[in-house]
Amino acid sequence: MSRRHHLWGYLLSRLALVPVMLWLIASLVFLLLRVAPGDPIDALLGPRAPQAAREALRQQLGLDQSLPVQYGQYLNDLLHGQLGTSLTNQEPVTAVIARSLPASLELGLTALLIAAVVGLAVGFSGIARPEGKLDLSARLYGIGTYAMPPFWAAMMVQLVFAVWLGWLPVGGRFPATLIPPEGSGFYLLDSLLQGNGQQFWGAIRHLVLPASTLGILLSGIFANALRLNLRRALDSDYVEAARSRGLSETRVVLRHALPNALLPVLTIAGITVASLIGGALLIEVTYSWPGVAYRLQEAISQRNYPVVQGIVVVVASLVVAVSVLVDLLVALLDPRVKF
Amino acid sequence: MNGAAEAKRPITRLPAAAGLLALLPALQLLMGCQPPHPAGQLVVANKSSLDSVDPVDVYLLAGTQLLSAVGDPLYAADRQGQLQPRLATALPQFSADGLSARIPLRQGVRFHDGTRFDAEAMVFNLNRFRRLGKLSYLLDDRIASVRSVGPYTIELRLTRPFRALAALLSSITFTPVSPTAYRDYSERSLTGRFVGTGPYRLASYSPRKQQLLPFGDYWGTPAKNAGIHLITLSNSTALFGSLVSGEVDVLISSGLESDQQQALDARVARGELVSGAGPAIEIALMAINSQRSPFQRQDVRQAVALSLDRQLISQRVSFGLSEPLRSLVPPPLAGSSPPSWPAYDPKAARALYGQAGFCNGKRLTLPLTFRSNHASDRLFALTWQAQLRRDLGDCVQLEITGVESTSAYRQLAQGVFPMITYDWIGDYPDPDTYLAPLLGCRKREGDHCLAGSSVDSGSFWTAPGLQGQLQASESSTGAARERSLLTVQGMAAKGASFVPLWQVNARAWGQRNLSAPQFDGSGRVILQALELVKP
Repeated sequence: MSRRHHLWGYLLSRLALVPVMLWLIASLVFLLLRVAPGDPIDALLGPRAPQAAREALRQQLGLDQSLPVQYGQYLNDLLHGQLGTSLTNQEPVTAVIARSLPASLELGLTALLIAAVVGLAVGFSGIARPEGKLDLSARLYGIGTYAMPPFWAAMMVQLVFAVWLGWLPVGGRFPATLIPPEGSGFYLLDSLLQGNGQQFWGAIRHLVLPASTLGILLSGIFANALRLNLRRALDSDYVEAARSRGLSETRVVLRHALPNALLPVLTIAGITVASLIGGALLIEVTYSWPGVAYRLQEAISQRNYPVVQGIVVVVASLVVAVSVLVDLLVALLDPRVKF
Repeated sequence: MNGAAEAKRPITRLPAAAGLLALLPALQLLMGCQPPHPAGQLVVANKSSLDSVDPVDVYLLAGTQLLSAVGDPLYAADRQGQLQPRLATALPQFSADGLSARIPLRQGVRFHDGTRFDAEAMVFNLNRFRRLGKLSYLLDDRIASVRSVGPYTIELRLTRPFRALAALLSSITFTPVSPTAYRDYSERSLTGRFVGTGPYRLASYSPRKQQLLPFGDYWGTPAKNAGIHLITLSNSTALFGSLVSGEVDVLISSGLESDQQQALDARVARGELVSGAGPAIEIALMAINSQRSPFQRQDVRQAVALSLDRQLISQRVSFGLSEPLRSLVPPPLAGSSPPSWPAYDPKAARALYGQAGFCNGKRLTLPLTFRSNHASDRLFALTWQAQLRRDLGDCVQLEITGVESTSAYRQLAQGVFPMITYDWIGDYPDPDTYLAPLLGCRKREGDHCLAGSSVDSGSFWTAPGLQGQLQASESSTGAARERSLLTVQGMAAKGASFVPLWQVNARAWGQRNLSAPQFDGSGRVILQALELVKP
């Protein structure tokens, strides 16, 4: 069979696993929520409500039904593309996610851009003199940013640039006194499309600190990955062969070593994107960034089962989609990959 | 080798330094892009987001803070705890048997959509709340029916005599909404829109940001500012920083740590900020499960109550900001003074522990559970543990365990915790909302409560005659009620199954160009009273 046929087979096998994976994740989150201590009714009413009122609310929210009945209803709704309604205000979970997801994507993609630019620049900077001062600094940077606790880093950045210097906002996604732009939910894009400079700069100002913090914390992974892969590539036979043909070092690095070294970085970028969609929790909470991770944290504390389940299923779907896409891209770009 | 090194050099000359330098002008540009506040409008920050602005969904302080600005209750408590008519024009007139009450309503009031406020509108709202309200249990066991008996008079049929009706109806969650705007929402809530009668109308809503603009046809004193932007910041550092950096005009204290409150007070003392304090609506207490050994013994419970150095604990937990409390009813509510619980007395405590067979080498282990997601609870547990070790170390030792609050509430009624600390906020400013939900008991055997609020609150304790006194308090007024309240607290203090710890006053800070924040009797900032006093 041709490579193209193999590729299609590979793609189909990956896609066939997606529903199974999503069912497992959906079932696991359903079960874990019910096994975990705590109860939505107590989270909603606190200790003050009498037992009768708790039972009435439990019935009103459908939580008095047996677990198998609730599970069956949940799966049935999922199959019909419905994620249920929030326990706190009966708002459809799809609306909650539609409001939060663009915020997370805007933050995640900007952070990824910063991480890639900074990380690749740092990773690239030390290659001329391995074990030299610049290379050592790049290694320290990579380890340091990766090891730094995100909440601590975020609070320090917040304290210095927002509180002490007062340069940028402490938190939130948009200036309090402006009405956010209507549209896709991506404020930068929407305000640009509407040509509203005040909205655009307002959105940028709120994005700078969380995106930079997240981007710099992630850049260490990129820096280390590029540095290691580039070192390996530069020591390989084909680079030696290129050098022996008299090519300049710049050409050897940029045309021969770098493309090969970037392939593993692409995989890392894919995994990072996937984790950023739902995983920037500490950054979102510290900067009051109204994304899915922040909403998920609120929903967990409220034991808001449908919102937690909905967010987990949607984020899991996106993570699966991104990883399949990255696998395909790597397979397409790297002829060494076998299926 | 040298040649190779020479060849490598060009690619190391990355313009990193130049790139970093280029960031500085970019930052400067961004700094200059802060949008100015529209003239006279203020930004007010607090910690909690709002999932809904429909009164039937609202039950937390952030929601009631908003409702108090966009809606009006029938009655409102002032700072001294006195009830004043708002949308009502007089206090309820009770029938001779106390089983019905008529309330005259204010005329000339309009909802934000122009609909007239009248008796039919109030009946629509009270019935809607009874059907949909998360706090509908407040009405259910007290109000049998509601009807209009005139264009501006409603009549409530009560299930039993209940003299604190006006206090109950001062809860802002009963604020009326326009029957026209909510016609299609009589059986479900309207999450993101509010059409009420208050001094502001809700101009825009999202869970973390709401814009309020003055309502031109408001019947009462108009707002002193041009509008309010209520925003949510998720953590105390952000809240603190937003006020210090001037990003917000007013900060409401919920969610701030004690050290941050103290730092803000220092700024107030230097004239950099202004501040205001409201009445205490939140109390912290400890529930002792009277059915768990060794707490079946009243003298052991009393010994525990005598073992608390509240002054020390208040200093260590909150720098003295949360005042020690020896009553289940916070001041200035009726029945809060004189305090019924004894002050710290290690000698008397030692005598009682000794009487129970402890001390002199035999130490009693007190197993205290605290809510692990509440910093003040943890600090209390650690401080009390150290204080007991210092003062009564040969008699008792405190064993502390943290449990997340939602899990703790779930297990309170199951009798899991021998001793647990939590806080309590009354649903409306009345002593009954502090006593009945903690001490009420429907079924008992001796001093063991088998069913009722006492079980739900984790103490399982009652006493002969206690329920009668609680009912007497509900159906009486004035001095007679005060006597009942003090009797109830005296019995509870003797039973020592609840131990009050401290009270928390609502607080707010503002920029120095603003008037000091004022509070109503329910612990909410009066947003319409905020005004710019200096340019």
